[in-house]
Amino acid sequence: MNRRRWLLHLVMGAIAHRKGRALLLLSVLAMASSLATALGIVSTSMEKRVAEEVRKYGANLVVTPEASRLDIGSGGLNFGVVSEPAFLDQGQIDSALAKSGVRAEHSYQLRGALHWKERDLMVEGVNFSDIRRLFPWWQLKGSWPAEGESVVGNDLATRYALKPGDSLELVGKAGTVRCRVSGIVTSGGEEDGQLFVSLLNLQQALGMTGQLSQVRLMVTAGNDGIKKSAAVLQQLLPGTKVSEVRQTAHTSEGLLTKVKLLMVMVTAVVLISAGSSVTGTMSTTVLERGKEIGLMKAIGGTRREVMLIFCGEAALLGIGGGIAGYLLGSAIAHFITRTVFSASAEFMPHYLLVSLGVSLFLALLGSFGPMVSVFRLDPVRSLRGE
Amino acid sequence: MSPYIIETGGLTRSYGDICALKPLDLQVPEGEWLSVMGHSGSGKSTLMNLVGGLDRPTGGTLQVGGENLLALTEDGLARFRRNFVGIIFQQHHLVPYLTAIENVMMAQYFHSMPDEAEARHALERVGLGHRLKNRPGELSGGEQQRVCIARAIINSPKLLLGDEPTGNLDHKSTIMVMELLKELRGEERFTVIMVTHNQDVAAWGDRTIHLDDGMLVREERMNCQ
Repeated sequence: MNRRRWLLHLVMGAIAHRKGRALLLLSVLAMASSLATALGIVSTSMEKRVAEEVRKYGANLVVTPEASRLDIGSGGLNFGVVSEPAFLDQGQIDSALAKSGVRAEHSYQLRGALHWKERDLMVEGVNFSDIRRLFPWWQLKGSWPAEGESVVGNDLATRYALKPGDSLELVGKAGTVRCRVSGIVTSGGEEDGQLFVSLLNLQQALGMTGQLSQVRLMVTAGNDGIKKSAAVLQQLLPGTKVSEVRQTAHTSEGLLTKVKLLMVMVTAVVLISAGSSVTGTMSTTVLERGKEIGLMKAIGGTRREVMLIFCGEAALLGIGGGIAGYLLGSAIAHFITRTVFSASAEFMPHYLLVSLGVSLFLALLGSFGPMVSVFRLDPVRSLRGE
Repeated sequence: MSPYIIETGGLTRSYGDICALKPLDLQVPEGEWLSVMGHSGSGKSTLMNLVGGLDRPTGGTLQVGGENLLALTEDGLARFRRNFVGIIFQQHHLVPYLTAIENVMMAQYFHSMPDEAEARHALERVGLGHRLKNRPGELSGGEQQRVCIARAIINSPKLLLGDEPTGNLDHKSTIMVMELLKELRGEERFTVIMVTHNQDVAAWGDRTIHLDDGMLVREERMNCQ
């Protein structure tokens, strides 16, 4: 039998000899690690769920140009304020987003009037693939546009009797946009009164290549991410206004942060209690085995070698408690997410490492103090049972 | 090279104000069986613990097997014990959850490598070939002491220490244990230091020293039994 196998055999024998106490320790370790696992899984599930909910709200930041303002008047006479429409520089926005490191999906938009059948229509140029991601609540009758196609807001379509398949010829000061209506959109907002065409086509028709009216961003950083991202972008984009548009999302994230903090505090309290319990039980075990420790030292075991045996026991119990804690914690998390959040918890195998870590840490930490005090004694005093 | 396996010069051991061993000069030749007698508190166990590297003296010199024990670190003393000394305790001190053979193998584990065949052989030598798989609780006092002897000799020590090894045994078991030790000593040629307060047990040795109040008061040569 090699030394490693013998050590394992010795450790298993010692644990089996004190079944009752070993079971008690295993239970405490399993309880503590299961709670850490359960709260961790619930917290992660909640975070994902909140993130999903936040995504449903769509864009949470908007970047708009600050309009040039000029006060008209002289002395006591004031004729009001004249403002000239201002635009964002697409290149500057691209560069700022890259520099900021903000994780966000974005949608570039340009608004302008195009002439159609002797009237001006308010047209918005967008990238339709971005719109689909950022505005998931849009209801579309027809299909999403391909190249050379457009989408018409429901109110506008009703007013001008437009339907999918109709062709439009929209004239701007620098060019003409020819497109076919592929779908009618209903959003319940101002989009219902607009016509949407490809961003590039509108920029060319208006002679405004590289210019934008606004940029909508969906920041996915979570928690304080929106506020921080807004501040970072604001610094990188002088002459623009970066503002939050969805307070609900912000509130959800704030609530999540508080719930997570509560969970961390509860876990800390439980771990401290469990740690004390493990220390108490391990102290009793080690003190009871003072003679055994004395014997091992008397027959030639160095402190390190004898410590290894006792640490091995603690580690084995820690591993057992960690595995049991993971299984129990996963079940508890599943139960909580099902009953409280009406959703099923995901299978999160990486929490096995968390559970093992918590359990091992408690077992070793709890054993270390009493072991050190016993190991300071010389073999003679230990054998006397002092 | 010194003919003595143990040499002490002015060896003392105090516990606070209490002097358990007063300056002692002692030489033990290699292969000798030395019995140490005295009443309770006379310092005989203290002497045995010092010689076995289980305790540290507070004064004097102590050479065992050419090794200056005062110069050894804690781990150095542990290595000295595993390589050089075999100890037989009055209370046996067997690990309760290990079988007889496993108790012997534990001494091998700290010395080098657990070897089941060697451990079995050691138990067969002490007449316990049929009790290999029994735990201490299932063995009589005499049998437990024989496991303790097998554990003490498994690493072929140069020095065998016995701290009242027959103190808890009846007369018949005492004779069996002493005969066994004599036989093993004949085969292994180790030096024996036997602490006892029993004159009959002491008479198994080559020489007996008497301690009283931590001092060597008398020494006598014995006739071999």
